[in-house]
Amino acid sequence: MTRSRACGFTLAVALAVALAIAAAAPAAAQPSGQMTWAVHVSLAPTWFDPAETAGIITPFMVLYALHDALVKPMPGNAVAPSLAESWTMSKDGLTYEFVLRKGVKFHNGDVMTAEDVKFSFERYRGASAADLKAKVARVDVVDPYRVRFTLKRPWPDFLTFYATPATGAAWIVPRKYVEKVGDDGFKKAPVGAGPYRFVSFKPGVELVLEAFDGYWRKTPSVKTLAFRVIPDESTRLAALKRGEVDIAYSITGPLAEEVKRTPGLTLAPTFFPFTVWLLFTEQWDAKSPWADKRVRLATNYAIDRQGINQAVYLGYAKLAYSFVPQGMEYFWAPPPYPYDPKRAKQLLSEAGYPNGFDAGELSGDMIYGTAIGEPVVNYLQAVGIRIKLRPLERVAFFQQLADKKLRHVVQNGSGAPGNAPTRIEVNAVTGGRYAYGAYPDIDGLFSEQANEMNPRVRRQILDKIQQMIHERAMFAGVIEPAFLNGVGARPAVHGLGLIKNHAYSAPYEDLKLKGK
Amino acid sequence: MKRFIVKRLGYAVLSLLLLSLIIFLLVRLTGDPSVLLVEPGASKEDLAAVRLQLGLDRPIWVQYGQFMSSLARGDLGHSFYYRTPVLELYLSRLPHSLMLAAAAMAFSLLVGIPSGILAAVRVNQWWDSAGKIFSLLGLSLPSFWVGLVMILFFSVYLGWLPSSGSGTALHVIMPAFALGWYFAAAHMRLTRSAMLEVLGSEYVKLARLKGLPEALVIGKHAFKNALIPVLTLAGINLVIMVNVAVVVETVFAWPGVGRLLYEGISFRDFPVVQATVLIGGAMIVIVNFFVDVLYAVIDPRIRYER
Repeated sequence: MTRSRACGFTLAVALAVALAIAAAAPAAAQPSGQMTWAVHVSLAPTWFDPAETAGIITPFMVLYALHDALVKPMPGNAVAPSLAESWTMSKDGLTYEFVLRKGVKFHNGDVMTAEDVKFSFERYRGASAADLKAKVARVDVVDPYRVRFTLKRPWPDFLTFYATPATGAAWIVPRKYVEKVGDDGFKKAPVGAGPYRFVSFKPGVELVLEAFDGYWRKTPSVKTLAFRVIPDESTRLAALKRGEVDIAYSITGPLAEEVKRTPGLTLAPTFFPFTVWLLFTEQWDAKSPWADKRVRLATNYAIDRQGINQAVYLGYAKLAYSFVPQGMEYFWAPPPYPYDPKRAKQLLSEAGYPNGFDAGELSGDMIYGTAIGEPVVNYLQAVGIRIKLRPLERVAFFQQLADKKLRHVVQNGSGAPGNAPTRIEVNAVTGGRYAYGAYPDIDGLFSEQANEMNPRVRRQILDKIQQMIHERAMFAGVIEPAFLNGVGARPAVHGLGLIKNHAYSAPYEDLKLKGK
Repeated sequence: MKRFIVKRLGYAVLSLLLLSLIIFLLVRLTGDPSVLLVEPGASKEDLAAVRLQLGLDRPIWVQYGQFMSSLARGDLGHSFYYRTPVLELYLSRLPHSLMLAAAAMAFSLLVGIPSGILAAVRVNQWWDSAGKIFSLLGLSLPSFWVGLVMILFFSVYLGWLPSSGSGTALHVIMPAFALGWYFAAAHMRLTRSAMLEVLGSEYVKLARLKGLPEALVIGKHAFKNALIPVLTLAGINLVIMVNVAVVVETVFAWPGVGRLLYEGISFRDFPVVQATVLIGGAMIVIVNFFVDVLYAVIDPRIRYER
């Protein structure tokens, strides 16, 4: 065989092999099928626009589908690069530079660039917008795929506010499209860079989304997502049992037990940083029994947290001994209080209340105020703390709490995203929106940690603050509720619990139906 | 007659003006809606920004003036929660409410009127007792309970009907029954008492003395006269069904006006609550107006009343 013939033969064989490999490789799977959720809350168009994200977890139910962020929580990573491939912080802590992923497209075909990132930040007006913008001096487009944030002062919580559900500022929208249609037009027909594109929305009724095959991470497996608003819990369960929906959010108590008993259905608990705790509003009033630390400690020993967990959350909730959720950054784990009514009575006796005392009211909002407040009141009354439950409508409760009008004991609850310092700032230091009082030494330490850029040193200070709060029994943590959801037979991957501290199904591009 | 109509029109307009003021003030007594649109613990600045955005930072009389001037232009405002014109929201829900109300009304009349007639004709017999039990249950049993039991039985256990939502004729059956039973009971009781009164009247006695068949006496002479108060009530009940079927629409996730009102109240969505109540009130006022005019046309004594 001549050399040229040998070359030709080799080329032909190589080509044949290549063709054979290509033929054997599976064809890219097309999205198919529909997954339907029965949602417990009414979907709001503001959830379609990251610029108006409130500091609550519910908008992220939609944001994770329609949009994408530079950085966001993902399975196994609380600060996962997404539209940003990487980022760096300068040594002086004043600048953060993000390198963007190339070739990312929005649903309308526009390519994402640094201009969109800058635009998205500048138009952001949701939760903590004022705080965020007050601390960021400017945002510069270095080149089409690099954007730089320059702070006025080093701020250790910049990424907590920018890159977590504390705000929606890092969720990117297409500048040209928003400028063309306006804010109202954007809410009517949102366009994002997420795995699903908007199809239709009937306010208060249903939202329908369709898979976006140009999503950078992967093409979703499920073609259509439908979110049906079903306010009544029993009706949500009925829809799940009939197979009309695949996932039903927020199923509690006896209905959750019914899910467990029903073949083909699964109960899937999720958690988000939410704690319910007692606030002793009169601990700074020397005339009040609550000023005595032993009385506050007695309250901690009097509550059977595990009993409440079993009754209300079927054992799925986490017991809380702090007002800071366990999943939050800089959480310090206090030693648990056992359920010990004898010890509680002994402490009350030492404090001068051997026969108990009239403790006034336990105020709470209508939802958690009754579900958790009722057993708490019963436990306190059993040891002699004669207290009455006063459930308040939600708006009234938060207004009166902020105006410092609630007296005696308040059952507070918060699911606001953030970290331990953000919770402490609102509840335990001077000037905090729900702080009825404070201690100067804690205030001093809090100011110190706010400017500390070294995470190890900051951790030490925050641990110290939380220890001091615990030692003074400023609060009585009760429970971190579990969010119980029902799952039907069709989903192979339902997405619940994949992302830490995220209450809903996500990431949507990872969802799968059985047999698909 | 002209004077009568103008007078009634004046009362109608005055009623609506008063209603607008009452609902405007009442809804503002419920609290600050901005608290529900931000996270708990939001700063005062965040709350202030939301209030500014919603126009709630202005003095109350300025807000009322703007509300009334918008109303005069047919603008019912923008929903705080849905950020959509309220009229658009209301009109998207109205067809569903009309469908549910029509089905519930048809049920309530088809069941209520014949059972009322039978109860009156067979007074103190077992038809009458059965009718009384039916109406007692209809008036006493909460509609949400009836709805949930129906979902459990017909939807979950038997699998015959969809549990919630709208879209097909099957979707409307359970909510129509749950909503209509209460009104069927009311129509039944009113038909029975109206029939008893009419059956005791002189002209019915005369009709019987003339030897007319009983079916003709009841069907033609008695029933037509007994029907007037029943239809008056039915007209007003229809308006109530359209606007205030809150519980049934929530249980069945029926996308109607009643649920819109419930959402408005839950979210302190002032424009939604104001608009829903005003439109509902306007419907009742209009129905009453036409009924009054019809009465005056039928009965000359009424139009000459001072």
